Amino acid sequence: MKSALWPNVFKGWNKTESETVLTLKSVPVFKGFTDKEFSELEQLIHRRTYKPNEYVFKNQAPGEGMYIIVFGGVKISIGSRQGKEQVLAELTAGDFFGELALLGDEPRSASAIATDHSKLLGFFKPDLFSLLERNPVLGNKVLMNLAQVIGERLRKTNQLLVEAQTG
Amino acid sequence: MEKEKDYFQLIYRIIIALIAVGFLTVIWPFISGVILMLVFAFLLTTVLLSFVDGLERKIKSRGLSVLAVTMAVLASIGLFIGSFIAQLSAQAKDFTSRVDQDTLTAEFKALAEKFTSAMPSFMREMQPSDSDFASTLSGFIKTVLENLTSLAGVVGNFFFMAAMVFIFTIILLAEYHHFKKTLVQFISNKYFEVGLRLIFNVEKAVSSYLRGQFLAAASVGVMSMIGLGILNFFGANLTLVVFIGIIAGLANLIPLVGPFVGMIPAILISFMNNIGNEAALAHKMFGVVPSPFFLVDIILMFIIVQQIEGNLITPTLVGKSVGIHPMMVMIALLIGGTLLGPLGMLFAVPTTGILKVIGQEISFVRKNAHLL
Repeated sequence: MKSALWPNVFKGWNKTESETVLTLKSVPVFKGFTDKEFSELEQLIHRRTYKPNEYVFKNQAPGEGMYIIVFGGVKISIGSRQGKEQVLAELTAGDFFGELALLGDEPRSASAIATDHSKLLGFFKPDLFSLLERNPVLGNKVLMNLAQVIGERLRKTNQLLVEAQTG
Repeated sequence: MEKEKDYFQLIYRIIIALIAVGFLTVIWPFISGVILMLVFAFLLTTVLLSFVDGLERKIKSRGLSVLAVTMAVLASIGLFIGSFIAQLSAQAKDFTSRVDQDTLTAEFKALAEKFTSAMPSFMREMQPSDSDFASTLSGFIKTVLENLTSLAGVVGNFFFMAAMVFIFTIILLAEYHHFKKTLVQFISNKYFEVGLRLIFNVEKAVSSYLRGQFLAAASVGVMSMIGLGILNFFGANLTLVVFIGIIAGLANLIPLVGPFVGMIPAILISFMNNIGNEAALAHKMFGVVPSPFFLVDIILMFIIVQQIEGNLITPTLVGKSVGIHPMMVMIALLIGGTLLGPLGMLFAVPTTGILKVIGQEISFVRKNAHLL
């Protein structure tokens, strides 16, 4: 008779990382997290699914946080779909957007629309505040990484500006 | 055509609302108790959540944090009730051994005469000549004492409710963040961010209000203890000072009415301790105002405590966290009191605060509806 003891004792040893954790690991905002910290973060993250052409958020809408694409695609655009729509970026799995909303109360600066059946992970201001209260070390890591991401963007924008001015 | 559609929509909504109200009216008697317990548990959770979260941060275990915080709360309640009952029974024993029925009647008589002599003559004439105030009062107290046994059922029910509230609170504390996440999963994509914002703001308003209220109650408790200590220094002979302070603090949680409720135990204890003491009966506040059994002193002390709390402490601690107009507070208290008695009064202001935050959020959503 086959014993059920050993399979139970070693249950979970060959456990693979969840789809959520794998996606989160590719996001610079969560850089430097340990496996334990990723599983803590996984408890906070919201999983949302979107149909093609469904708005994730609209331009000028009040923003609450950032999204990370697990699968599918999202286009970032300004202008209405009926009128002159200008697509700023086409994002795919592993990309993230809307992170500025984590730091301020400014409305969204562009619309985000799902281009396919998409699964997104959402990380919002209340989650960040909750993380800062319950695990300040982890919360501060997120803030530092966010600052780095935004700093990097600013550097690139400055570079583009200089290039445009010089010709 | 569009207008017709609007009318149909309106009629449809009114019918749905009427059915919902009718259904709620039918099932309300069966669910009101559970809902009340859940509301209590939610409020208790809101107060204790920051302690549990803080402890979890240190010991890295949610379960142990919940256990430690609930044990601490249970121990404090047990210690308070246990020592309160012990001291109260000792006080009652001392009182009954010192004062018999005749002495009590005689003391009431003396007190009544003192009050009657202090009244203007026209009011004295208004009193029915054959009424024996003293014997009526002592008879009334006797009836109250005799009826105390019938309170056993009410007390049993209260303990059952308290136990259930505590169990609900433990579950909510342990699973709070998980419950919240599960709840928000049901919000549609369109309203998701707004829904999160609403929940976050309501949570913030309720917890800051409750924390402020508890700090204000604690300050009233401490100030009352100090005040009673000062009165004792001048010979008021008040015992159970700590308990009177705690009761005054707890009563302070009910706006407007609470402060007056808080005075009652102090007045009763003063009366019980000073009965038969001629000096206490003839006491004059500041040597001028007649204050038998230090009654006026006690009332003045509580008024001073209330003024300090209302004008200095609450504005600093609670600030404008809920910011409800005093008129609204009174209306909310009346409605709460009519619906649920003292419990309703206790919950009236935080509930109004929650409704106000929800109202503000709805108006925010309406303003931004075209962007959702």
